[in-house]
Amino acid sequence: MTKIFHEIRDPIHVFIHLDWYEKKVLDSRPFQRLRNITQLALTYLLYPGATHKRFEHSLGVMELAGRVFEVVTKNANLTDEVRELLPDLGNPDALHYWNRVLRMAALCHDIGHLPFSHAAEDELLPKGWNHERLSRTLIESEEMCAIWKDMVPPLDPQHIVKLALGARKATDLEFSKWERILSEIIVGDAFGVDRIDYLLRDSHHTGVAYGKFDHYRLIDELRILPSVESADEAALGINGGGIYSAEALALARYFMFSQVYYHPIRLIYDHHLKDFLTAWLSRDTLLMEGSFPIDVEGHLRTTDDEVNAAMRLAASDPKYSGHIPASCIMKHSHFKVLYERDPQDVKVNSEPGAAIAIAAECEFGKDAVRYSKPKVKNVATDFPVRGRDGRILPAISASETLSKLQPTAMEYVFIDPKVKTKAKQWLEKNRKSILATAREQEDEENEAQPKSGDAHSIEPRNAEKG
Amino acid sequence: MLTLLNREMLKRGSWCGETHLQKAAFFLQDLLRVDTGFDFILYRHGPFSFDLRDELASMQADSLLELEIKREGYGPTYVPTQFSEVFLQRFPKTTARYMKQIKFIAEELSDKGVAELERLATAFFIVDREGIHQIGHRSQRLVELKPHISAHEALAASEQVDRLIEKAVPFRLKEESFQPSE
Repeated sequence: MTKIFHEIRDPIHVFIHLDWYEKKVLDSRPFQRLRNITQLALTYLLYPGATHKRFEHSLGVMELAGRVFEVVTKNANLTDEVRELLPDLGNPDALHYWNRVLRMAALCHDIGHLPFSHAAEDELLPKGWNHERLSRTLIESEEMCAIWKDMVPPLDPQHIVKLALGARKATDLEFSKWERILSEIIVGDAFGVDRIDYLLRDSHHTGVAYGKFDHYRLIDELRILPSVESADEAALGINGGGIYSAEALALARYFMFSQVYYHPIRLIYDHHLKDFLTAWLSRDTLLMEGSFPIDVEGHLRTTDDEVNAAMRLAASDPKYSGHIPASCIMKHSHFKVLYERDPQDVKVNSEPGAAIAIAAECEFGKDAVRYSKPKVKNVATDFPVRGRDGRILPAISASETLSKLQPTAMEYVFIDPKVKTKAKQWLEKNRKSILATAREQEDEENEAQPKSGDAHSIEPRNAEKG
Repeated sequence: MLTLLNREMLKRGSWCGETHLQKAAFFLQDLLRVDTGFDFILYRHGPFSFDLRDELASMQADSLLELEIKREGYGPTYVPTQFSEVFLQRFPKTTARYMKQIKFIAEELSDKGVAELERLATAFFIVDREGIHQIGHRSQRLVELKPHISAHEALAASEQVDRLIEKAVPFRLKEESFQPSE
């Protein structure tokens, strides 16, 4: 007899439950490819346990999405106001359909990731492409559409795309209120289950305990509430009783970014990997044409395995493309931190790291310097909280802790270890003058080149935005 | 530019929460053609840019802006820090280049609340991005997108947007004309 329901053991969620169709997606080539895509790129060089893959993360996201859906659509957890805003909540057939769409979208949200989940998509993919667009291509592919079509009722691939990518990435699609709420369950800034799963899972595998929080309580207290700004819109929010677990989630995120995701050694390994990939993809071959493939078959055959094999080969012999960055990775001889952002320097120059990196490139050559300014992560405080008296409050007003959490900027300049001592001495001597000179040039550059920063790979803050 | 916009709107009495800045930046870009570099989409409360939200976080991290809770139960206000003035002094040319446009937007929008800004910005989005110029069709589309807006409010917002477009002509950076309502 064919088994209809399946369970998979998982270190974070104990069991992950799948139905027959979800098992078909799990067995599909796009999903199986995720077994060979590491979740945290080369972080395992720093935290040896971090060898987990997008495969188990995607399963975890589906499991959590299902749990959240169950909580927020439960009759006892809804108010008449919300039912009126979202009529689908009163229609059992619609709820059944959307639960399936949500779980499939959660399962497929990462299938477009490049090898090593690499973030440098601008350099490694053709213009206009990113991993979300690749995920969309796969969700809409013939292979996956055969599964959606076979289901009863059949799923509309565009619905899956909307929930998997969210409004930020599926900018050409119009979202209904209901679709916005459902996509928030997966990719939302405040309570997206993608985020909940990766924090818990990455924390577990790296051994960095700060990423843990009481997600059981958090999920149990999630509610669809009228939005803070207008009662005519709904948003994913939380009951007042769950605010402490929401605070814990925000703190976990802050710690994981500072301790793991934006750790300077992880950032420099990312640079070396990008340098290797750029060289490897530009080698003399008709297959790659300077970027990762964007067609379904090309994407499916490119995983960490292919990159690892090429990297090992390149590290062994200078005649191969990308020999130097491959050696930095394989021999653990990464560039060292020359400069780390100091808040006092920001008062003199808006991007002190960029100024120092540009000056260091002039002094030691472009190949000896790398600069990182990872994207500042906002503290999601725009969700509604239902107080004990039934009032809807903005989270920032309901939580002293959330109101005090500030986004943090990080900036690093890295230097080739061969010139590290010399570079340290040079920086000590010239730091003040570099920052002051660069400051005088900021407005001039802005006047001359309003959009693109400068000709280097280092792009200072665009003063036009700020 | 956001620092300036924030300062000028606060001076004129705006609440200056995220929605106020989002809508003001949208008008600055799409009405006056000032290239802010933000991508706007139609979201929960009208035109919205996720990039702009990221930039606000980045500006907080750079000590240019901070959040202030003015009244319990209401959304926070973005307030420029003391350092932001020092920062602005470093960019006299950029400041001078866009001051006229920023002041125009601040003059026109600072007295408006989020609901009115949502109506106006969405009505303008419909003309500008969807190319629906006929005022009746535009109001109809506004109600379709935002069913909580009444037909009367939609018509008023569409008319107000037409007046704003007319007023904005001398401040527009690039010569691109909007078709008036038929």
